[in-house]
Amino acid sequence: MTTYEPAARLLSVAPSPAFWVAVAAYAAASTVLFLVLAGKQKLRGLAISLVGVAFVAHGVDIGWRGTLHVHPAQSVREAIGLLAFIVTGGYLLASTRYRLTIGGVVVMPVALILLVAARLTPAGTAPEDLSTLGRIHISMATIGVGVFAFASALSAIYLMEARALKKKKFDTVAFKDNGAPLEVLDRMSHRLIWVGFPIFTVALVLGAIWVSKLGESLDRPEYPLAAITWCAYAALLVGRQAYGWRGRRAARFTLIGFAAALAVLAIYLVRRMVE
Amino acid sequence: MSELFVVGISWRTAPVAIREKLAFRDEEVASTLRELTIVNPVAEALLISTCNRVEVYGVAKPGADATGPVRHFLAQQRGLKAGELADVIYDHRGSAAIRHVFRVASALDSLVLGEAQILGQLKAAYGVAGGAGTSGPVLGRFLERAFGVAKRVRTETSIARGAANISSVAVELATRVFGNLSGKSVLVIGAGKMSTLAARHLYTSGAQQIVVTNRSPEKAEALAAEIDGIARPWSELETLLAQTDIVISSTGAREPVLTRALFKKVTKARRWRPMTVIDIAVPRDAEPAIGDFDGVYLFDIDDLEKVVAANLAERARAGEQAGRIVEHEAGQFEQWLRTQGVVPTIRALREHFAEVADTELQKALEQLARREHSPVQQREVVQRLVQLVVNKLLHTPTAALRESTSDEAALRAEVLCELFGLEPEQGREGERESQPTIPAVPALDAAPEMKSPE
Repeated sequence: MTTYEPAARLLSVAPSPAFWVAVAAYAAASTVLFLVLAGKQKLRGLAISLVGVAFVAHGVDIGWRGTLHVHPAQSVREAIGLLAFIVTGGYLLASTRYRLTIGGVVVMPVALILLVAARLTPAGTAPEDLSTLGRIHISMATIGVGVFAFASALSAIYLMEARALKKKKFDTVAFKDNGAPLEVLDRMSHRLIWVGFPIFTVALVLGAIWVSKLGESLDRPEYPLAAITWCAYAALLVGRQAYGWRGRRAARFTLIGFAAALAVLAIYLVRRMVE
Repeated sequence: MSELFVVGISWRTAPVAIREKLAFRDEEVASTLRELTIVNPVAEALLISTCNRVEVYGVAKPGADATGPVRHFLAQQRGLKAGELADVIYDHRGSAAIRHVFRVASALDSLVLGEAQILGQLKAAYGVAGGAGTSGPVLGRFLERAFGVAKRVRTETSIARGAANISSVAVELATRVFGNLSGKSVLVIGAGKMSTLAARHLYTSGAQQIVVTNRSPEKAEALAAEIDGIARPWSELETLLAQTDIVISSTGAREPVLTRALFKKVTKARRWRPMTVIDIAVPRDAEPAIGDFDGVYLFDIDDLEKVVAANLAERARAGEQAGRIVEHEAGQFEQWLRTQGVVPTIRALREHFAEVADTELQKALEQLARREHSPVQQREVVQRLVQLVVNKLLHTPTAALRESTSDEAALRAEVLCELFGLEPEQGREGERESQPTIPAVPALDAAPEMKSPE
């Protein structure tokens, strides 16, 4: 029987059947949401149900991996799967109150890509077992980025809807969908950043401690990128409180912060694959 | 059978110059309806008179054609010559009348497709007809169904979605920015009629307070009193703008009132909180550049009209689906109406059968109660009861068949065969009539009153 190094073996766990259900449901939900946006309003209920199925199947997959001792924050690769799960959950929750078809058309394919990337990219081998500190850092960073991802999706919808209104494009999908009002999108995004920011801050501090304990070099590109994320959200919160920033400016800051966070994740993922 | 009919004119056929001549004031409608049903072959009637249509919906008396007399009656009521209406007045009967009224109730025949007022007007007209005593069971059922169809059309299609007039669009656009309008403040600049309408619409949609400002304080006061708002001096314009969420502007100024310089200060003062500016003045009150400020959503009269056009196009698409619903419902209603013609006959037939059966049953029960009967005798009583009931029920149709002329006999025999599902054996004509298949029972001494009617 082949023996593996513990970490290397864990990284190569095959996707569960629930993973395939989740992939199918994400793909179907993306398609149906697109049809809803194209005018098939009657399919809205079906679309949200499919998102629900995807969410549950995704959760089952994470749980199933847990039974095989794969922690959802064991590696950046795993964390990306968890991130998609969090974003889907947030979308599902918000959909109970608001019409977020445009958001769904963006969020569902992204969740699908993240999940596939998390499960089907080459696993590589873990350099060593993660310390508890490392796991807490990855967990919190993932949750923080997940919350930012959702805030960013709302900000992206805000920008699209605001543009349709400003440019008076009354025949565009963004106008016709009659989605959540601008003020609501702005407020929800702001609240989410208030939630995500402390979590992300703690994650960043723990990450810095972890890196210094490992004695690794600090001149990797992901560190300044993570700092950009933190700075963007810190500036946004200060700007909102002190100078009343809101609307388009706030939405752009939210997206800049998230883009930097995504770049960090991408670098980790690519490096793991290369190494 | 009574027939449903429609006679009238609408915006589709008649210009306002004729519609206004034929229009009836609310207080005239009841008396007109009473007169209409007295002097014409009309059993039930309703009169609807709105700015876009004057129509009579009614039920003709059995066998009569009511549309001609009603056309004449309407013209006469308004002192018009028949020729004046000839090109614009229309009538529909039967299924065409049903479809027409269903379409009217569903606002498919309205000037603004899907508008909500017509249903309320039709309900009010139905109420007036009820009060005047001119609506009866057929018209009642017809109108109730029409209201049901209208409700179905509104809920199952997007015919009523999206604002279809300028003041509703103002509310729709403000809702896109703010969501719920409760607690939002409205500033009306100038005193145009359109801005008054829009402000009222915003107020009924939940906006908290309406502030009015005008270069002329008297005009501001007058308008504020009219719409339950507060008048504020023109000099406070900048402060008012900084406090307001929704601005409706329609001054008669030649130069823009809402300038970029003013809004630079205003947006900063309101810390870029969102603001909807609806400029319905021509020439425009707002410089287009104010729409570039973060949080300021500026719409001019052309924008509002563009939204109306887009919404109406959407409604037109929904109209096709609504038309199919109306078609289906009209078909069902016609079916129901057809069955109503035979309902009295069915009822009388059932009552007659029940009466015959009941009379004979009572006699049999009395006979059984009079003394002890052996099981065989009881059986005989029951057999005789059934035979008597059958004989009594068949007596009249059989006699009528025998007494009819040969042409009538053939027709009647055919109808009977169809109604009872009979297949008479050929070649037995001329034979003596066979007895009923119930076994013959000898008459009992104890039942001398139980005689066959034959």
